[in-house]
Amino acid sequence: MTPASALDVGRLRPYEISNRAPLWWGQVILCAIEGSMFCILIAIYFYLRLRVDVWPPRGARLPDAAIASWALAPLILSMAGSYMASEAAKKDSRGGMIFGLAANLLLAGVFLVLRYLDWRGLNFNWASDAHGTVVWTILFLHTFDVVADLLMTLVLMIIIASGRYGPKQRLGVHVDSVVWYFLVAIWLPLYAVIVWAPRILGGGQ
Amino acid sequence: MSVSTEWRTHVAGEEGERHELERAWSERGGIAGWFSVTTHQAIGKRYIITAFIFLLLGGIEALLMRLQLARPDNGVLGPEKYNQIFTMHGTTMMFLFAVPMMEGMGVYLVPLMLGTRNVVFPRLNAFGYWMYLAGGLLLYGAAFSNTMPAAGWFSYTPLSGPQYSAGKGVDVWAQMITFTEISAMCVAAELIVTIFRLRAPGMSLARIPLFCWSMLIQSFMVIFAMPAVMLASTVLLLNDRTIGTHFVNPAEGGDPLLYQHIFWFFGHPEVYIIFIPALGMVSSLIEAHARRGVFGYPAVVLSMVANGFIAFGLWVHHMFATGLPQIAEAYFTAASMMIGITSAVQIFCWIATLWTGRLRLSAALHFVFGFIFIFVLGGMTGIMLASIPLDLQVHDTFFVVAHFHYVLIGGALFPLFGAFHHWFPKFTGRMIDERIGKVTFWILFTGFNLTFFPMHVLGLHGMARRIYTYPAEMGWGPANLLATIGAFTIALGGIIFMINVVRSMRAGAPASEDPWEAGTLEWAASSPPQNYNFVHLPVVGARYPLWADAAERAVVTGMRSDRREVLVTSGMEAEPEHRLVLPRSTPWPFLAALGFTIGLVGSVFSFSWYFISAALGAIGLIGWFWPHQPVEIDP
Amino acid sequence: MRARTAALALAAAGGCGTSNQSALDPAGAQSQGIAALWWFFLTLLGAIFVIVMVMTLLPLLRGPRNAGEPRLTRVVGGVSVVTLLLLFGLVIVSVITGRATAGNTPPGRHLAVEVTGNQWWWAVRYLNDDPSRIVVTANEIHVPVGTPVLIRGLSNDVIHSFWIPNLQGKRDLIPSRITTEWFEADKPGRYRGQCAEFCGLQHAHMALWVVAEPPEQFEAWMEHQLQPAAAPPDALTRRGGEVFLSHACVLCHAISGTAAAGQVGPDLTHLASRLTIAAGTLPNNKGNLAGWITDPQSIKPGNHMATVPLEPEDLQALLAYLETLR
Repeated sequence: MTPASALDVGRLRPYEISNRAPLWWGQVILCAIEGSMFCILIAIYFYLRLRVDVWPPRGARLPDAAIASWALAPLILSMAGSYMASEAAKKDSRGGMIFGLAANLLLAGVFLVLRYLDWRGLNFNWASDAHGTVVWTILFLHTFDVVADLLMTLVLMIIIASGRYGPKQRLGVHVDSVVWYFLVAIWLPLYAVIVWAPRILGGGQ
Repeated sequence: MSVSTEWRTHVAGEEGERHELERAWSERGGIAGWFSVTTHQAIGKRYIITAFIFLLLGGIEALLMRLQLARPDNGVLGPEKYNQIFTMHGTTMMFLFAVPMMEGMGVYLVPLMLGTRNVVFPRLNAFGYWMYLAGGLLLYGAAFSNTMPAAGWFSYTPLSGPQYSAGKGVDVWAQMITFTEISAMCVAAELIVTIFRLRAPGMSLARIPLFCWSMLIQSFMVIFAMPAVMLASTVLLLNDRTIGTHFVNPAEGGDPLLYQHIFWFFGHPEVYIIFIPALGMVSSLIEAHARRGVFGYPAVVLSMVANGFIAFGLWVHHMFATGLPQIAEAYFTAASMMIGITSAVQIFCWIATLWTGRLRLSAALHFVFGFIFIFVLGGMTGIMLASIPLDLQVHDTFFVVAHFHYVLIGGALFPLFGAFHHWFPKFTGRMIDERIGKVTFWILFTGFNLTFFPMHVLGLHGMARRIYTYPAEMGWGPANLLATIGAFTIALGGIIFMINVVRSMRAGAPASEDPWEAGTLEWAASSPPQNYNFVHLPVVGARYPLWADAAERAVVTGMRSDRREVLVTSGMEAEPEHRLVLPRSTPWPFLAALGFTIGLVGSVFSFSWYFISAALGAIGLIGWFWPHQPVEIDP
Repeated sequence: MRARTAALALAAAGGCGTSNQSALDPAGAQSQGIAALWWFFLTLLGAIFVIVMVMTLLPLLRGPRNAGEPRLTRVVGGVSVVTLLLLFGLVIVSVITGRATAGNTPPGRHLAVEVTGNQWWWAVRYLNDDPSRIVVTANEIHVPVGTPVLIRGLSNDVIHSFWIPNLQGKRDLIPSRITTEWFEADKPGRYRGQCAEFCGLQHAHMALWVVAEPPEQFEAWMEHQLQPAAAPPDALTRRGGEVFLSHACVLCHAISGTAAAGQVGPDLTHLASRLTIAAGTLPNNKGNLAGWITDPQSIKPGNHMATVPLEPEDLQALLAYLETLR
C-alpha cells in the first residue's frame, strides 16, 4: 500500500561535520555543565570573601599576578591551533588536522608549565584556610579539565596520524575545539577572580 | 479501514526492509550482549525497573520508620538506626528512585514520540545507566555492611562534617551523588539534543508532545542544577571531611550556611526536576483518556518553561529560620508563592480539557484525578510554607513532611502510576487489568491520605521532624498510629499493583498498537515496539499525527535499513538536514563506567583514587571512541 | 472563640489533647499573629481547594461540554489572572504579618537571654551589663509576662533550632553566627519547646520549657537564681556534696558556690528548681534523677553524659544533696 506521500532523504549526507552536528551540541551542553560549576565556584569565592575583613587571611600571599597573566598568552594562542584543526577536519585535510592539534598541544603545554610554576609559588594549600581552599579548588578543577581535554586531543591526533580515520573521527577533531575554547574562556573570569578581585577589593595585609 | 490504520499499515512496510532493520538493530545475545545494549527501549526499561526496586527499598525504610513512630516511646528502632533509616529513605527516594524513574520514562518514550529510532547518543545512554546502577549499589552495598549515612538526605553541616559524623557513611552518601548526578546529566544532554534534532520531519516545536516539552525543560534544569549538588556533596562536604578543606569550617573562614545555599540551589530545582516530567505525563494521559488535545497547549508549555526558570530563584525558602536579611525574605516569599501560578495555569487548562473531552474512566484517568486532588492540596500547603511567619512555625515539623509528600507523591508518583497503567500495553504488548488498576488507585489514594493528612495536624501541634520517638503526654500517639496504618495501606496498594503487572504480563489481553486511540506517535509503533521503532520514519503535519487527516500522513524514504540510521532535522521546524549513523551494541560504555566506578568508590577512602578513576575512565573512553573498522561511511 | 473551637476540633482530629507545644494555642502577640495568619490562609486556600476540586470532578458527572476555544480561553485566562492577584495579595499579607511578628530587634526595654545549643541540651544565660547579675541555667527559661524577651542564639557544635510554638516561630542556632528573635508572653503559663533542626542521635530528646510568670514572681525567681548554692544542711547532704566533687561530675557540671566549675554540661546550681531533667526528657523527681545518673545511656542513648558508677549509699547521698539545689 503506498502512502499519500514520501519524503526521500536518500541524497542527504550520512554525517555532518560542522556546528550542525548533534555531537557539537552535546559538547556545548558539557561546557554548560562545567561552566555552571565554575560560576558557582566564583560565587563561593565571593561568599567567603565577603564574610571577613582580612582577605586573604594573614600569612597567605595572593597568586602571583605576573606569571598568571603571562600564561594567558600561550593559552589564548593555543586556540588558533584548535581552530586550524577544526577547519581542517571539515575539509578533510590530514596534515592540517595534525598540525593544528599539535600546535594546540604545544601551546597548551607551555601554559601548563607556567601554571605549574604559578601554583608551586603559592604559600598556602587547600587546608590552610577558606581562601586556600577555594583557590586550590578552582585551580585543581580547571587544571583537571584542561589535562583531560588535552589527553583527548592527543588521542585524536594519534588516530588521525595513524591514517585510520573516517568522518566520525574528523567530527571528533572538529568538536574537540569547542571544549578547548570553553576551557580557555572560562579561565578568564576565574583568573580575574583569584588574581585581581582580591587586589581590587582590598583587605589584604 | 480507518485513516490511522491505513497509515500504520504502510508504516508496517515491506518484508525485506523489515528484515534488514531487524538485523541491524538486533542486540547481541548472552552475557556480553547484556552489557553491550545501546537501544533506548532496553535502557529505558532498565532505568524503570531499577528505579522501581529502589522505590520498594525506600518504601520498606518508610514502613520501618512508621513502625517506630506508631506509638510513643517505642522500641522498634533506636536513635542510631532510626537516623540511618530516615536518611536512607530520603536519599533513596530522591536520588535513586524519583529522578532516574522520570529519566527512564523519558529515555523510553521520547524517541517514540518524536518518530525516531533511538536517542542521539546511544552509548552515552548506556553509560549513564551503568553509573546510576553503580551509585545505587555503592549506597546499598555500604548499607548492607552497616555503613550508612545518618545525617539526613541533605546532610547539613556541621552535623555531617568530620567532627560529628564519624565513619564512612556520609562519605558514601556524598560520592553516591556523583554517580547519580553523572547519570542524570548524560540523560539530560542526550534528551536535549534528541528533542531538538531528531524529530520527525514536519514536527515543529509547536507540534511536539507535551511530555517531550517536559523532558526538554527538565533536562535543561538538570544541566544547571546538578553541578551545584556535585559541588555541595563532593567538593564542599567530602573534601572538608577527608582532606581538610575549609568550605564549611567556621574556625578557618568557612561557613556552615554556605553548604545550605549550594545544596538548596540544587535542591529546589531538584523537586521540579522530578515534578515537571510528571506534568508532561499528566498531559499525555488526559489527551488520550479525554480524547482531545490538551486545551491551551502554548500556555501549558510556557507555564512549564516559567516553572523551570523560577524554580532556580526559590532556594532560600528552605532557610527561612536561619535569620536572613528582611529584603531577601520578602523576595523569596514572593517568588515561592508566585511559582504557584505556573502549576495553576496548567491545572486550569487540564480542567478545561476534562470539561470538553469525552472521558474514558480508565485506571490511568483515576490516577490523574488523584494527582489533581493530592497535588493541589500539597500546593496549598506550599503557599502556606512560602509565608515566612507560617514557615517559622511549621518548618522542620511533620507539617513540612506532609507538604512534600503531598506534592511529590501526588505530583509525581500518582502521574507515574497513571503512566504505568496507560503505557503498559506499549511496553509489554498486553493490556493491564483495568479493574485491579482502579482498585490499586483507591487503595493508594486512601492509604496516602490516611498516612499524610494527620501529619499536618501533628506539625501544627508541635511534632518536630526527624525524631525517633516522642513522649506519650504530647498526645501525638493516635495521629501517628493512623499514619502507620495508612503507610501499610499504601504498601498493600503497591503489592496489588505488582501482582497486577505480573499477571497482566503473563496473561493479559494482547494489545494492539493503539488500544487507547491516542494521537501521538508512540502509538504508531507496535506493542511492544521493535528495536527500530518504525519501519519507515513518519512525516507529520499536525500536533496529533494519529488523529490527523489521511492527507497529512507521509513517510521518510531513502534511509539505509542495513545499519542504524536516523534522520537529523532542524531545531525549530524539523526540516531534514542530514542522516546519522548510530553505533551498534558495544561494551565500552559499561567498561568506561566500570573504570570510573572503581576509582570513585576508592575516592570514598582516599583522594588519590580520583586520579585512578580518571585513568581507568580514560582508558574506557579511549576504547569507546577508538575507530572500529570500517571507518568510512557510505552514503 | 472560633479559633479555639477549631483548634480543639483539629486537636481531636489529630488525637492530641495537649496545647503546650502547639502553634495553634498562642500565648503571646507574635504567635497570635502567626496563628491568625494561619486561619486566614487555611480558610482562603481551603475554599480555593474545594472550588478547584468541584470544577475537576464535575466533568465526571456531566458529559462533555461544548465550549468554544475563545470562551475557554477567556475563562482560563480570567481565572489565572485572579489566581495571580490572589497570590500577590497573599505575599503582601505575609510580609506585613512577618514584619509585625518576627522582627530581629524588640522594642525599647527588653529582657535579653542568650541560648546556646549543645548536643543535646540548652545553655541559658540572662545577659546583663553588670556581670554579677548574669543568671546561668539550663533547659528552662523564665520570662516575665508583658515584657519583650530577646533570644540571642548561638551553638557550640552543630545547627540546632530554638522553638517555642506557643510563643513564636523558630530560629536556628548556627555555630559561628549569632541569630536573634524576640517574643512577649501575654499570660502566665508553662510552654514546652523542642529543638527543631536535626542535630544527631538525641535530637528527639532536646526539649526545653519556658515559664512565663507575673513580673514580681519573675523578679523573685531571678534573685533566687543569682544566689550561689545553699550549703548542705546535714551530714547526708554534705556527704552528697563530697560525692559530687570527688567524681567525674565536676568535669562537666558547675555548681556556683562550690569548687565545681565544669562548662561542658548544664549548670546545676538550682537543679532542684527545674521542672524537668535531661533537657525536658523526664520530670524532675528523685526516682528519675536516680535513673538518669545511674544510666544516662539507657534514657538518651548516645548522649555525652558519662556513666559514673556509684555505690548505692553514695548515690542516695548525692540525690539528697541535689535536692537541696533549689
